[in-house]
Amino acid sequence: MSLSRSIFSIVIAGWLIACSPAVTFAGSLLQDLENALMCKCDDKCGKVLINCTCSTSDKTRAKFTKMLESGLTVEQIIKSQVDEYGETVLSAPTKFGFNLTAWVMPFVALIAGGVGVKKIINSWVGKKQMTDTRDEDEIESATPGKYSKRLQDELDGIEL
Amino acid sequence: MNDIGEFTLLVALATAIYGCVSYVMAVRGNRIDLYLSADKTPLIVWGCVLISSICLWKAFLTNDFSLQYVWAYSNIELDTFYKIASFWGGQKGSLLFWTLLLTTYTVVVHFQNRKTNLRVVPYAMAVLLVIIVFFLFLINFSTNPFERIPLPPEDGRGLNPLLQNYWMVIHPPTLYLGYVGFTVPFAFAVAALISKNLDDGWIRLTRKWTLISWFFLCMGNLFGASWAYVELGWGGYWAWDPVENAAFMPLLIATAFLHSIMIQEKKDMMKVWNMSLILLTFVMTIFGTFITRSGLIQSVHTFDEATLGYYFLAFLFVILLACIALIISRLPLLKSKNQLDSFLSRESSFLFNNLVLLGIAFATFWGTIFPIISEAVRGIKITVGPPFYNQVNVPIGLALLALIGIGPVIAWRRATLSNLKKNFLKPLAAAFVAAIALLPVIPLGSRTEIYTYATFVLCVFVMACIIIEFYKGTASRMGLHEESVLGALTTVTWRNKRRYGGYIVHIGVVLIFAGIAGSQAYGTHIEKHLNPGESFKIRGYDITYEKLVAIEATNVKTRIIAQLQVERNGSHYWTAKPEKEFYKGQNQPVSEVDVLSTWKEDLYMILADFREDESATIKVYVNPMVSWMWTGGWIIAFGTMISMWPDRLEQRRRLERFRREELLFPSPAQE
Repeated sequence: MSLSRSIFSIVIAGWLIACSPAVTFAGSLLQDLENALMCKCDDKCGKVLINCTCSTSDKTRAKFTKMLESGLTVEQIIKSQVDEYGETVLSAPTKFGFNLTAWVMPFVALIAGGVGVKKIINSWVGKKQMTDTRDEDEIESATPGKYSKRLQDELDGIEL
Repeated sequence: MNDIGEFTLLVALATAIYGCVSYVMAVRGNRIDLYLSADKTPLIVWGCVLISSICLWKAFLTNDFSLQYVWAYSNIELDTFYKIASFWGGQKGSLLFWTLLLTTYTVVVHFQNRKTNLRVVPYAMAVLLVIIVFFLFLINFSTNPFERIPLPPEDGRGLNPLLQNYWMVIHPPTLYLGYVGFTVPFAFAVAALISKNLDDGWIRLTRKWTLISWFFLCMGNLFGASWAYVELGWGGYWAWDPVENAAFMPLLIATAFLHSIMIQEKKDMMKVWNMSLILLTFVMTIFGTFITRSGLIQSVHTFDEATLGYYFLAFLFVILLACIALIISRLPLLKSKNQLDSFLSRESSFLFNNLVLLGIAFATFWGTIFPIISEAVRGIKITVGPPFYNQVNVPIGLALLALIGIGPVIAWRRATLSNLKKNFLKPLAAAFVAAIALLPVIPLGSRTEIYTYATFVLCVFVMACIIIEFYKGTASRMGLHEESVLGALTTVTWRNKRRYGGYIVHIGVVLIFAGIAGSQAYGTHIEKHLNPGESFKIRGYDITYEKLVAIEATNVKTRIIAQLQVERNGSHYWTAKPEKEFYKGQNQPVSEVDVLSTWKEDLYMILADFREDESATIKVYVNPMVSWMWTGGWIIAFGTMISMWPDRLEQRRRLERFRREELLFPSPAQE
C-alpha cells in the first residue's frame, strides 16, 4: 500500500471513529445530557452544562433528573431542549446538513495537507536524486566505488 | 497623577510614531543623524508607558474612584494583592499592561541588538513601534483607563470574585508575556523580508525570543487550566472555551515553527514556510485579543465592555495582507535548495509533525469560528463545545504523540532499514509490552477507553525513545571519559543543551498527555445531599460530613465552609473544607474547592449547596493523574530553561558571522 493511501486510510479511520455516535459508558444518563447541552442561564455563561456551577445549571440538572425518572430518553430530552432554545443549546454541531462541514473540514484539511506534504517531499527527494546522479557522473572516474559506498554507509550511521 | 498618566500616554504615542517613521527614513536615506535620533525613541516610549502604568497602579492602591476603570474593578475592601492585579482585570488596563510588556520587550531588543546586524534591526524596531502605535492609539482614543467620573463615588464596584484568586496575579501576565513575546520574532521576520536579509540570521537572532514566548504561552495555558481547576468548581481544567482556544492555537503554530526552523538552520530549506509560520503565530495572538475584545464569540473570558473588535479585525487584515504581499514580493529571494535524501528521514518527520500541529490548530480555529460561519450561512448561531474538540482533536493528537517519539530518533538525511531497526526496535518492544500489560487493566468498551489505551501505549513508546537517547549519549560519554553516570548525563545534556533540553520538554509533554488521558477516562464523581454526621463512599474513600461554619471574612465577603472527614482503610486521611464565598453586590456565590492531590489521583471536594438546617450538597470528584499534567508543565519549564541557556560556542559563532556580514555589507548607521 502506498504511503498516501496509508495516510488516507488512517485519517479516514480517525474521522470515522471521531464521527461515530458516542458510546454510552458506565456514567449516568444525566451525565450524557450534561455533556450534550449548554447551560442556558441568564448570564449567558457559555458553558457546557457539565462544566457549569451556577444556580440555573443546578435547577436544569434537577429538571433533567425528573424527566429521566418519568421515562423520557436522553434523545427525547435533547429534542425538547432544541425545540425550546434552538440548536444553540447543543454543545456540538449536529452531524447532518451544513453542520457536517464542521466535522469534516478539519480532516479534509489534514488529508489535503498530508497529500501536499507527501508530494513536496517526493519532489525534494527527486531533485536530490537528480543532483546526486549528475554529481556522481562527474566524479565517478575520480572516486572508486568502494569509497563512495563506505562514505554512504558511514553517513547513514551518523547521528547529528 | 491621573493627568500625568494620561499625558504620558499621548507623549508615548507621538514618540512611537516619530520613532517608526524616522527609523525607516534613516535606513532608506542613509541618514545617521535620524538613525541616532530614532534610536532614542524605544526608551522614551517605554518610560512614558511605565509612568502611565505607575499612575494607574497608584490610583488602584489609593482607591481613586474618580477613574471609571478603578471604580469598575476595585473597591476599598479589596486586598492590596488583588488591587495590583486589578490593573489587568478589565479591557482598558489589560491593553495598557499589554503595551507595557510590549514596550519593555522592545527596549530589551533595542539594547540587545543596537550594535549588531544594523541592516535588519532598524526595520525590526520600526515594526515593533508600529504595533505599539496601534495599541497606544486604542488606549488614547478608544479605551482610555484614565477616563474620569464627574462625581466620584465613595466606593468601587469591586473585582469579579472569580478573579480574586492568586492565579489572577500569575496567569494573565504569564499568558501576556507569551502573546506579546511573539511580536519580537514577527518583527524580525518582517524586517528580514523588507531588508531582503533572508538567510537564517533572523531566526538565530530571535530563537531565544521564540523559545521564551513559547515557554510563557505554554505555562500561561497550564496556569489557566490550573486556575479553572481550583476556581470554577466543575472538576475539570479545560473547557475548549474560545479564549482558551485562542491561547492554544498560537502555541501549536509556534511549536511547529520551533521544529521547522531546525531544518532551515541545518539544511537552508523551508524559508517561505518558516516565514509564514511566524507570521501566522503573531496573527493568531492578535486573533486571540480580537476574540476577547470583540464580544463576537461567546466566551467566559470576554471582557464586560468588549467593543474593540473592529479595530483588531482591521489590524488583523492589514497585517495579513501586508505579510502576504511581502512574502510574495520576496519569493525569488526565499527560494531555497529544497532537497531531501529520502522520504524516511527526520526532515520528513518534522514536516509531518508540522502538518499535525497545524491540523490541530486548524481544527481548533475552525471550531472557534464555526458559530459565526453558521450564523452567516444559515442565520442560526450554534455552539461548538468540548464534545466537538474532543472528538476531532484527540485522534490527531495521538498522531502527534507518535511523532514526538519518531521525530527525535529517526536519522537525519536518510533512515535505512538497519538504523530504523537499531533506533526503533527497543521503543517498539517497550510499547508492545505496555500494550499487552495494559490490556487486562484498561477495558476497551468505549471510544474514550480506546483512546486512553492508545495514549498510554504511545506514551510508553515515546518515553522509551527518549530514555534510549539519553542512555546512548550517557553511555558513549562514560566509555570515552570514564565518568560516573550522573556526571556523564549532566555533561552530555550540558554540551547539547538544545537537543537534550528538547527531549526533556518532550518528557513533560508525554506526562501531560498521560495526565489528560487518565483524568478524562477514569474520573468519577458523586453528588450527595447530607445532614451533619452522614457518610458516603467513593472509590475507597469514606467521607463524613461534619458541620457547616459561617465566617464574616470582611465587610463584603462571607465564607460558608463545610467540614468533611475523609477516611481511607479505616484510618483518618484528610479533613476537607470546601466553601462558598458570598460577595456583597454579587448575584452568584463563588465556590472554593478543596483538593487533595496525590501522584495517583486528586480528591476534589465542592460545596455545591447548603440549607439553613445545616444540611449540605457535597460534590466529590476523584480525578486520576491530574498532578501528572502539572508535573509535566514544570518539566517543560525545566527543559526549556536548558534549551535556552546561553551557549558560548553558539554565541561566538554568531558574533563572528555578524562581523563578517557587517564588513561585507556596512549598515547606513556605520557608514
